Amino acid sequence: MLELRDVHKTYETDKGKRHVLKGVTATFQKGDAVGILGRNGAGKSTLMRIIGGVDHPTSGTIRRRMSVSWPLGFGGAVHPLLTGADNCRFIARIYDRPLDWVTGFVQEFAELGDYFHLPVKTYSSGMETRLAFALSLAVDFDCYLVDEVVAVGDHRFAQRCREALLERRGRSTLLLVSHQPDIVRSLCTSAATLDQGRLTFHEDLDQAVAAYHAL
Amino acid sequence: MPQILEEPSLRRAFRIQRIVIGALLLRELQTRFGRKNLGAVWLFLEPMILGGCVGAFHLVLGHGLPGGINVFAFYVVGYTPYYLFRGMLNRAASALEANHALLYHSRVTLLDVVIARNLLEGAAVLLAMTVFLIAIGVLMGDWPQDPILIAAGVAWMVAMCHGASMLILAGTRWGVMTMDRLVHPFTYLTIPVTGAFFMVDWFPSHVQPLLTIFPTVHVFEMVRAGQFGPSLNYHYDLVYMAAVTVALNVLGMLALRAARKHLEI
Repeated sequence: MLELRDVHKTYETDKGKRHVLKGVTATFQKGDAVGILGRNGAGKSTLMRIIGGVDHPTSGTIRRRMSVSWPLGFGGAVHPLLTGADNCRFIARIYDRPLDWVTGFVQEFAELGDYFHLPVKTYSSGMETRLAFALSLAVDFDCYLVDEVVAVGDHRFAQRCREALLERRGRSTLLLVSHQPDIVRSLCTSAATLDQGRLTFHEDLDQAVAAYHAL
Repeated sequence: MPQILEEPSLRRAFRIQRIVIGALLLRELQTRFGRKNLGAVWLFLEPMILGGCVGAFHLVLGHGLPGGINVFAFYVVGYTPYYLFRGMLNRAASALEANHALLYHSRVTLLDVVIARNLLEGAAVLLAMTVFLIAIGVLMGDWPQDPILIAAGVAWMVAMCHGASMLILAGTRWGVMTMDRLVHPFTYLTIPVTGAFFMVDWFPSHVQPLLTIFPTVHVFEMVRAGQFGPSLNYHYDLVYMAAVTVALNVLGMLALRAARKHLEI
């Protein structure tokens, strides 16, 4: 179970304070596949960063009763100066996973070829996403925080990502942020909308999509 | 495979912290002393150039240091812990930037990053110092009188600067540039008072209490006591050193914790 209670997040900018999340309360159970629909700038990535523990909320609490991945598809997570292989070893170490197994799995899944042994800063953004996504699968989290870019982008890889995520449905939780209802329909069983810093849950996917279009 | 989320316990927290710090140590090693980086070369070259030049200068002028101690050894033994002091403080503000991407993993905390960086810095400087002191022993016949005391001094310097480096990193909530502008002049302007290049005993007794206010003076005296042995007088107060170190570390950890939600990753 993953629980957010009255989570607020304020960023201090040169143009004053920006109140991005204004009291998000939500509970996600093991096996849920929830799509979070929101327009650009609605606070989707802020929400993912807070759920993943990258940023800390300004106020409110988060309780994690399952292991939660880092936010996937938002950049970060792999060090630009280290090679793909070195990043594999780093992540295998911190999550206490067998080094050889993780390296082998990622090499096969991410299909980086020779780039696997080059620094990540030489990668295209698609390659970096592939590396990070493959790594998160190798760690085997209970809950995945995914941005839609992972499931769209390069056709062949997007297909494999969707397969991997669907294959996990039921045993792990998926939180997918998106502004495309089609992606949410194909991967999720329920949906919520994020607007003006607040998260609203809906009865079913159709209602959520309708509410999203009405925003 | 082990569960990622075991029952929360103190033992588990320590185990994860140990694993994460170990992984971060290897990662810092790769960028800081990596194949294409001159970090390792400078670590040895800087104290050698300084010790060599100043030693040669004194040799040419024909006068030594008070107490007739080995000039080269004096500057090497002073400069290497100073290198540690300067490196740890100057590098503290960039700890987040340099590991930005890795902090996406909620298991990796800022505290782990600072600990790993400072441990690596301490180990590297201790290694460089060992090489120098062995070289001085072999080439000049001046062996350290108490190597354990030297190592303890270096460790103490790491612990003291670790506290300060956490305070500096916490201060980056007001901007990394702001902290750099404060810390770099600080480490530069305090060179004369750090105690790296003088001995407290050289000064009249009424000046000595003033000199020993700056806490690193005690550390340098301790290291010199290890190198030159009981033939000279040293002025270091273990209680004062311990008090400053504990205070800096407690304040540093509290400040880092308070700053965390203001630091954007």
